[in-house]
Amino acid sequence: MTVAIALAVYAAFAAVALPRLLRRAAWTDRAPRLAIAMWQAAGASVVVSVLLSAFAIAVPASVVGHGLAALFEACAALLGHGATLSTPSARIGLLIGGLVLARLAYTGGAVLLGARRGRRRHAEALALLGRHDHDLGALVVDYEERLAYCLPGRKGHAVITTGALRSLAPEQVTAVLAHEQAHLRGRHHLVLAAAEALARAFPRIPLFDQARAEIARLVELLADDEAARHHPRIHIAAALVRLATGRVPAFALGAGGETALTRVRRMLHPQAPLEWRERLSGLLAVTALLAGPTALAAAPGVGAFLAHHCHSFLITL
Amino acid sequence: MVRGLGELESAIMDRMWATNAPASVRDVLEHLRKDRALAYTTVMTVMDKLHTKGLLKRKPVGRAYIYEAVSSKEAYTADVMRVSLAKSGNRAATFVHFLERLTPEEASALEAALQVYPPSGRSS
Repeated sequence: MTVAIALAVYAAFAAVALPRLLRRAAWTDRAPRLAIAMWQAAGASVVVSVLLSAFAIAVPASVVGHGLAALFEACAALLGHGATLSTPSARIGLLIGGLVLARLAYTGGAVLLGARRGRRRHAEALALLGRHDHDLGALVVDYEERLAYCLPGRKGHAVITTGALRSLAPEQVTAVLAHEQAHLRGRHHLVLAAAEALARAFPRIPLFDQARAEIARLVELLADDEAARHHPRIHIAAALVRLATGRVPAFALGAGGETALTRVRRMLHPQAPLEWRERLSGLLAVTALLAGPTALAAAPGVGAFLAHHCHSFLITL
Repeated sequence: MVRGLGELESAIMDRMWATNAPASVRDVLEHLRKDRALAYTTVMTVMDKLHTKGLLKRKPVGRAYIYEAVSSKEAYTADVMRVSLAKSGNRAATFVHFLERLTPEEASALEAALQVYPPSGRSS
């Protein structure tokens, strides 16, 4: 029971404190890939803690402690309406765990299917409107608004409007398309879908809300960096400015482009990438987030296991 | 076969948008036959499908239908772009997000930043 409470307290604390910590971190813009991994690990950490907490309520540590065989027995008993299931705490634990899993699976499926449906509809429309430009390796759509985007999926491709082509120099066009290709290659739409699913499955939880917004931003920085490996940063910056200005009124839904500003500045004044020490501590943090809850959940079980099987060994010590 | 039909849809819509006038299946067929062999029923089926999709409207004249594009190509493009890209699922797909367009002040500041950027950096 202690473990269940500890895990639940950790999950609640992490869901509120981790986003604050991560948003305040100054290094994220220098290492977007690591930052994305960190947000994902934080999300996974909280979900896994809740699930393990529910599992710990259902299965007492003393049972786990008697070795793997006993654990499997307990699990088998749980699955096949055995004696363990009759305790109210076991039922509550299983109910919580089941609800969390079901909610995640349902929302995840809805997000993925909805996105795929939208993409298919858009692809159908583009089949009528666009023409494939083999030199650019992108679909060109006759449209005055300056737009460049990618349509992910099995036959994913970059899309650019004639308005954008007119306002950009050729080397800026290739830089923009390299950015979109980076999205496609990195399967960023799946990264975004996962963040979207978590935020929608459990609304108003600070970690999931902010992870969605931050990952959407970081994915852009990552694609900029990928494009900058083969294209001069000045072209990416210039293209960003060209595409971010001169909008058609119908599209002016809001004002103020904080992310666009950050991205242009990053391209013009690149910061040094993380040192290996910083990178290593980042990776350790990701590992701790992922492994921490499991270690916490396993601790009493391992303790009980040691006490049960190794007491003679301990005594001789 | 499906791919071929998709191309035919595109050719028919191009024709309907270009002429911007009502046309019968026979009119469209005669135009398309200039560069490929097509059966009347094929074109009729595809135009019926385009009607179901909401791209063409039609009214009966005699024993056949007279078709017309529902909206101009420009208007349709604007609809497609606005609807599918403004959705939350595609928010992140565009190079610059719609909701994050720059204010004129920000834009001019950035233009200035680009101007003063040292030329040596341009070739880096």
